Amino acid sequence: MISFTMNTFNKTILFFGTLFLFASIEAQAQEKFFRAIGTPHQPKVEVSWNRYHTNAGLLDIMQRMVKAYPDLVKLQSIGKSFEGRDIWLLTVSDFKTGDPDRKPAMYIDGNIHSNELQGTEFALYAAWYLMEMHGELDFIRELLADKTFYIAPTINPDARDNFILEANTPHSPRSGMIKLDDDMDGEIGEDGFDDLNKDGHITQMIRKSPTGRYIKDARDPRRLIPVAAEEFGEYEMLGYEGTDRDGDGRVNEDGIGYYDPNRDWGWKWQPDYVQRGAYKYPFSLPENRAVMEFVMKHPNIAGAQSYHNYGGMILRGPGAEEDLDTYNQQDVRIYDAIAKKGEEIIPGYKYLVVYKDLYSVFGGELDWFYGGRGIYTYSNELMTSYLYFNNQGEKGYQEEDMNVDKYLTFGDAFVPWKEYEHPQFGTIEVGGFKKNFGRLHPGFLLEQDAHRNMAFTVYHGYHTPKLTVSEVKEEDLGGGLRSITATIQNERLIPTHSSQDLKFSIERPDIVSLRGIDALTGMVVENADFNKVSEQPFDPANIRVKNIPGMGTVTVRWIVRGNSRYSIRVDSAKGGVVDWTP
Amino acid sequence: MILFVCLTRSFAVNEQTDYPSLDQLAAQLRQLANTHPEATLRSLGKTAGGKDIWVLEVGTGALDQKPAMAVVGGVEGYHVLGVTLTLKFAENLLTSNKETLASQTFYIFPNMSPDAYQQYFAPLKYERMGNATEVDHDRDGTISEDGYEDLNADGFITMMRVESSLGGYVVSEENPLLLRKADPKAAEKGTYLYLPEGIDSDKDGKHNEDLEEGIAFNKSFSYQFPAFEALAGDFPVSQIESRLLLDYLYERPNIYTVFTLGPANNLSEALPYQASNAQKRVVTSILEKDAELNKRLAKLYGETVSLKPYQQTNQGTPGDFFQWAYFHFARLSLSTPGWWVPEIKTAEDKNFTSTEANFLAWADSMGLEDVFVPWTEIDHPDYPHKKVEVGGIKPFVMHNPPYGMTDSLADMHTAYILQVAAQHPKLELLDLKTEKLDKDLTRITVELFNDAPFPTHTEMGKRSRWFKKIRVDMDRQVADILIGDKIKLIDSLDAYGKTTLNWVVKGKGAVRIQAGAPHTGYTEITVNL
Repeated sequence: MISFTMNTFNKTILFFGTLFLFASIEAQAQEKFFRAIGTPHQPKVEVSWNRYHTNAGLLDIMQRMVKAYPDLVKLQSIGKSFEGRDIWLLTVSDFKTGDPDRKPAMYIDGNIHSNELQGTEFALYAAWYLMEMHGELDFIRELLADKTFYIAPTINPDARDNFILEANTPHSPRSGMIKLDDDMDGEIGEDGFDDLNKDGHITQMIRKSPTGRYIKDARDPRRLIPVAAEEFGEYEMLGYEGTDRDGDGRVNEDGIGYYDPNRDWGWKWQPDYVQRGAYKYPFSLPENRAVMEFVMKHPNIAGAQSYHNYGGMILRGPGAEEDLDTYNQQDVRIYDAIAKKGEEIIPGYKYLVVYKDLYSVFGGELDWFYGGRGIYTYSNELMTSYLYFNNQGEKGYQEEDMNVDKYLTFGDAFVPWKEYEHPQFGTIEVGGFKKNFGRLHPGFLLEQDAHRNMAFTVYHGYHTPKLTVSEVKEEDLGGGLRSITATIQNERLIPTHSSQDLKFSIERPDIVSLRGIDALTGMVVENADFNKVSEQPFDPANIRVKNIPGMGTVTVRWIVRGNSRYSIRVDSAKGGVVDWTP
Repeated sequence: MILFVCLTRSFAVNEQTDYPSLDQLAAQLRQLANTHPEATLRSLGKTAGGKDIWVLEVGTGALDQKPAMAVVGGVEGYHVLGVTLTLKFAENLLTSNKETLASQTFYIFPNMSPDAYQQYFAPLKYERMGNATEVDHDRDGTISEDGYEDLNADGFITMMRVESSLGGYVVSEENPLLLRKADPKAAEKGTYLYLPEGIDSDKDGKHNEDLEEGIAFNKSFSYQFPAFEALAGDFPVSQIESRLLLDYLYERPNIYTVFTLGPANNLSEALPYQASNAQKRVVTSILEKDAELNKRLAKLYGETVSLKPYQQTNQGTPGDFFQWAYFHFARLSLSTPGWWVPEIKTAEDKNFTSTEANFLAWADSMGLEDVFVPWTEIDHPDYPHKKVEVGGIKPFVMHNPPYGMTDSLADMHTAYILQVAAQHPKLELLDLKTEKLDKDLTRITVELFNDAPFPTHTEMGKRSRWFKKIRVDMDRQVADILIGDKIKLIDSLDAYGKTTLNWVVKGKGAVRIQAGAPHTGYTEITVNL
């Protein structure tokens, strides 16, 4: 009863407080804040970019975005997860300048691996930055007039909430919430982790043992260090917190999953015995299926970005060595141009190729986006230990981690060793680094890295095609005939069809149409100086153009009779629609 | 009254003179399910064309605790025989072979391509592969804008020949009704263009390049998927019927064998083992031990099914179902078309070089009429001043025998399938020994034996997470088991292979030991301490 009264009271305060806030935002900005370059300084949607969000928190932010900027942001559910959660997607574009689904588009997602949380915040930061800066910067205004950004902050919402709300290691669940029979004993998910000390983190179990190979570091008792080969230590390691729930003599052998949502995509997909982590068949996971269906319905997507962690990498395919010939030199040049700029924009991040610099893997998302759809795609492995102390060397080694928690986070990252009576192991100690340390940015590094990765992705999105009819020439051919020659220019790096796209005719040709006058014949001009042309004898008013190259042009010509007025339209799936009138 | 209806129905079945329509097929499946308590008919869902995907589950007791075989027909829409053989297998199983159900389960999928199957019964008949999904096969931005046209209005899509020295075809010496390619080595000049019946509807210079059909079931699976080819689609397993089937199969770890009645054949001749392809990360050869098994089963096929191999060169095609079942689903995968045109000799006692000439000679020898549409001249808009004729072998007849032959084919294949199923793994606990070490302490020793010619796991099956291991449960508390495991997992047992199990157990009374996996079935014994 008391509690109810208190709640009502609080809500009343909150209500009036909110009114007051709206009325005085302008005044406050004048009186209390001074603009820092590069950041929205009067955001209509206040977000703290130094923490992580549950699905409820994300939806709240996204709904506030739509409310604040209805002409720039749209929110839709593109499907349901295994547990029935919505997969939310934001469309960010200037809706007053045309249909966002016909503008060249950039697709961004995060969190395909559920423990890799920050991809979600990074993706959402990009949406927030673009909409909050739209009224401030000419560059962003033009960008959103030309382009569309489709942003799915989390494509693994079920296991995201599980990672945050349930006890986990920094690496679990990684999959979604489907449980499989990992030990093939006929029971499904019967023996996962147990949070012995009930702190929400699955840390390590160690036990005193006369034959142990480890001792606690005398100078830093948090740290277990191995002893020399001829020495006995004091402790043995027993692995992550858990018990033998099913009596089979093993601990933690069958929990959530395991499968890998990033082995489920439909380009050169391989089954689990070839590619561990694959599920039943391509897009057999409902979350990925939702993304696939959205991408198939949006052929305007010309660039894509997927946010992962960890390691400070800008990755491109091929994922598997066996797929090497899919990536040809023409497309690699474009990949290189964008990613090398990315290395400058995001210090500490390296541009790498998955199969040779990381591991050889089939069925990855970036391979389907490129191999299966012809879309230039990167995966960024967010967070690198370089961001702690600018050390270029070995990433995330134990001593550095200990120093981070000593000098930067003051003990927030580590659960001190504490004794526990284990049903099978007897007296043990439980402790170690928390699930939200290591792979995930600490709060104070989150906003900066989000901004830099956003800047890279904006650069990528900026370089999706931008088409113009740059020149139209007429020539009198005598006898009432004339030729009309139109040059179509692509002002950006990315072509309307990647060479992978051209190889398989993934996307339809671009169509350059002559309207208002009958075309007697039509052609693509291959060499204007020597009149080398390739005629299209059928349907001459609508010239099919295979590709409009990045930073290049295509020239088409029609022969017509008479002097009627005409107009020209360029209709490209990935390049958008451009109209030309005299 | 009920009796009367049943009699009428079964009379109607016996009167069947041609392959059953989808409605007739559904009625016959329903009748089987209504007549036999061992059979349950389910629709897994509907295709893009609104047709049911049926499964007939046949078995007794706990179906999913016995080794099972999936029998699959209709993997190609034009292979109507596969549907009928699958249906007749179900009938034979239920009417005269129920004893096999004590140890085996069957999941019978009579028709995986109902949308395409329809074309056999449609006013316009052609050998269709694709379902009813809308697909832009030539990837030009327009869907199915250039399909077949029935130019001679006979209800069949056959071929066209156009008199032209540009065409590259000449009349066949083996049969003047047929054409063959001009021989460039002999500097032979062509006399005909030779094309499927139709016109260039969209005037793009290409002929019938965007058919009015969708994705082919047997070209859209994930093993060696022919990405972006016509009828295959943009990515593997894109179609609802494929997903319904695969979801169903993956949920049944008791399936040991997948038997496909479709165009591929690894029973007339076994798949060859190729060491280098078997050892790569992406495996493209049957594994060695599985090849031996296949060889043995091919021999058995030759002994059971009296069809002499002829032109049986299809051992799998990109994206097909039969290879998926082995290379990706890791099951023992067997496939046969169930029938093929037998070998006929020419007047000079030689083989025909043309399979079509061989077919026409066979049809002649059988007295089959109505298998060829005589060449008839027509006006063709794409060839205004040329002599164009429509004609050729009718669709379907080269892949599907006259319906009257299907009973004997079904009997032979039923016998074969049942012999394969009888070889499924079968576990037994033998030679139980108990030794008293003390009044409360007993050593238990027992042999776990696979009493079957098949190993418990094929070599490929051992690699797959979608099989279970053999699990042995000792029904005692962990604290009472001094030696041995409460739960022991065994990777596999060979054909007639065994492993010795040991425990030392504290206490008295009856102790139950159970061993098995869904695809081997379960066995148990009780030990009195």
